[in-house]
Amino acid sequence: MPIHEKSLIRPENLSTHDNLTIDGVDVSGDWSTFIKARVVQDYNEDLQDEIAALPGGENIHRCWQCGSCTNACTVNALNPDFNPRLWIYLIRMGFEAELVRDKDIIWQCVSCNKCTSACPRDVVPEGVMKATAHWLELKGYTPKTPSTEFDEIFSNQVIHTGKIEDGAVLLGFFRRTGQSPFQDWVIQMGKQLAMGLPIRMLMRMGLATLFHPRTRGWDRARAAIEEYVEEQEAAHRKALGLGGSSHDPHAPRQAQPIPQAAE
Amino acid sequence: MTKEVLVVGGGPAGLAASHALSSAGIPVTLVEKTDILGGAPIHSGYAKLVPSGEWAKDAIGGMVKRVEDDPGIKTIKNATVASFDGSPGDFTAKLSNGQEVKAAATILCTGFTHFDSINKPEWGFGLFPDVVTTSQVEQMISSGKGVRRPSNGEKPKRVAILLCVGSRDRQIGREWCSKVCCTVSANMAMEIREELPDCHVYIYYMDIRTFGLYEEFYWNSQEEHKVKYIKARIAEVTSDGDKVIVKGEDTLVKRPITIPFDMVVHAIGMDPNVDNFVLSKTFDVDLHHWGFLKRQNAYGVAGATSRPGVFVAGAAIGPETIDDSIAQGQSAAMSVVGMLHAGATQTAAE
Repeated sequence: MPIHEKSLIRPENLSTHDNLTIDGVDVSGDWSTFIKARVVQDYNEDLQDEIAALPGGENIHRCWQCGSCTNACTVNALNPDFNPRLWIYLIRMGFEAELVRDKDIIWQCVSCNKCTSACPRDVVPEGVMKATAHWLELKGYTPKTPSTEFDEIFSNQVIHTGKIEDGAVLLGFFRRTGQSPFQDWVIQMGKQLAMGLPIRMLMRMGLATLFHPRTRGWDRARAAIEEYVEEQEAAHRKALGLGGSSHDPHAPRQAQPIPQAAE
Repeated sequence: MTKEVLVVGGGPAGLAASHALSSAGIPVTLVEKTDILGGAPIHSGYAKLVPSGEWAKDAIGGMVKRVEDDPGIKTIKNATVASFDGSPGDFTAKLSNGQEVKAAATILCTGFTHFDSINKPEWGFGLFPDVVTTSQVEQMISSGKGVRRPSNGEKPKRVAILLCVGSRDRQIGREWCSKVCCTVSANMAMEIREELPDCHVYIYYMDIRTFGLYEEFYWNSQEEHKVKYIKARIAEVTSDGDKVIVKGEDTLVKRPITIPFDMVVHAIGMDPNVDNFVLSKTFDVDLHHWGFLKRQNAYGVAGATSRPGVFVAGAAIGPETIDDSIAQGQSAAMSVVGMLHAGATQTAAE
């Protein structure tokens, strides 16, 4: 039995029994097909404020759903399910369960900012996408993306020493993302470096690996930066109703169950 | 030929027309069916007007005072026009109180009637106390009592405003857009958010028609006051005994919604004045097919009706803003001045 507009029905809401007899009538298979109603039963009024509390999400309340962002979107051209207009709406109205369904594509935003140029209300949709991806991570709906891991290692090192030691960044990134440090391209790079016999550079790299040089007088700068970062992170966690601190970047993130849409 | 002019109706258009004529030295008789002047903004207890932000009792009150203090304007309250005979320059109106008024011309400023939400029973008005109209919320604000749930007097935490109640609806024979409700609702939502910052306000719309400069109200309501707009035509309003429950489809996500609210506000539209059939007969003027008083033309003599010497202005012609009603009252007055002047020139030539 054909179901019209089947694309509008989520598979989990289709109910069919292979063997079912009601009052002696065999209604097995398609005869017993039911579609469970998908009804939104309430608005989560905190969701918009949560996104607005994260960097980039500040102007989300301005959106009037014209769709310029989605029309302008680079990623939407490749993946029609990537729809910033819809996500902004889901956030504004507090349809959290609906939003979380798309958790695996929201982060795909490439930050080309064509939406930001197109938006007539200056919502800055690119910022909203960034804030939303951040929100999904903070809430534990998605693991940290490799780029977030990289950013953290990189900025932690800068904050700590005032300098960047590329080798340490790279090794830390491989460790945290579970990759082998002996990747083909690393070996190739090492070989080529060795062929040029850059003795001074190798010596400096070796010393840097051993002694972790710091920018002179960095302590005060570090304290100020750390204080600011802590303040910001605490503010974000508070806005999202999350307890504790995210101070330890290695702390295991608790996976959060995905809320179910009201049936 | 008499020089006196009869103005019917003491709302914004009638007050403006009376004042304009009197300013031009033409004696005016203003007939008002109720016992107070001011029209809908005063009778319905409007709060702050759009776009000026002035309180209705101050803004329209000033117009009323200007007319009442004018010795050139004779106001007759608690009276309607029972019959209207004669020809331009020489009309005789008999009033319901037995008085007789001679007039060279008349301007009908008979306004509109608010849509009665009882005629849209699926939206709960009259069934649930927390379903109210924009007029009622205006009164809550203008009385200084504030926006409260009628059922228990508490401050609402979540309010829905339903647009197009009694407008753009073929089911109930009202196909027109009432023109002001979008802007009025955006303004009202901001007033609610100002008084009750913890109260969330949702506006359910089909289209938003905050035309011209009124767009600012739409923008500000979203950008400064975080009012939420949902594109949905509500199917029905029910109740669980405490909350009123709004059912519809959120068309932007293609999903049915069943959302509880503390209060639901109907943004009621502007109907033709219930007296229009009587007025049409009394003054022998045509009606527009939707029941408003018909304007003869858009580009010729302003405010002309199908009967020479009888003019019309304001929301009697169709849904109208207060500003434009005032402008129309004045332009109809100008048409009358022109007519009297032409008549006087003709008389002098004979």
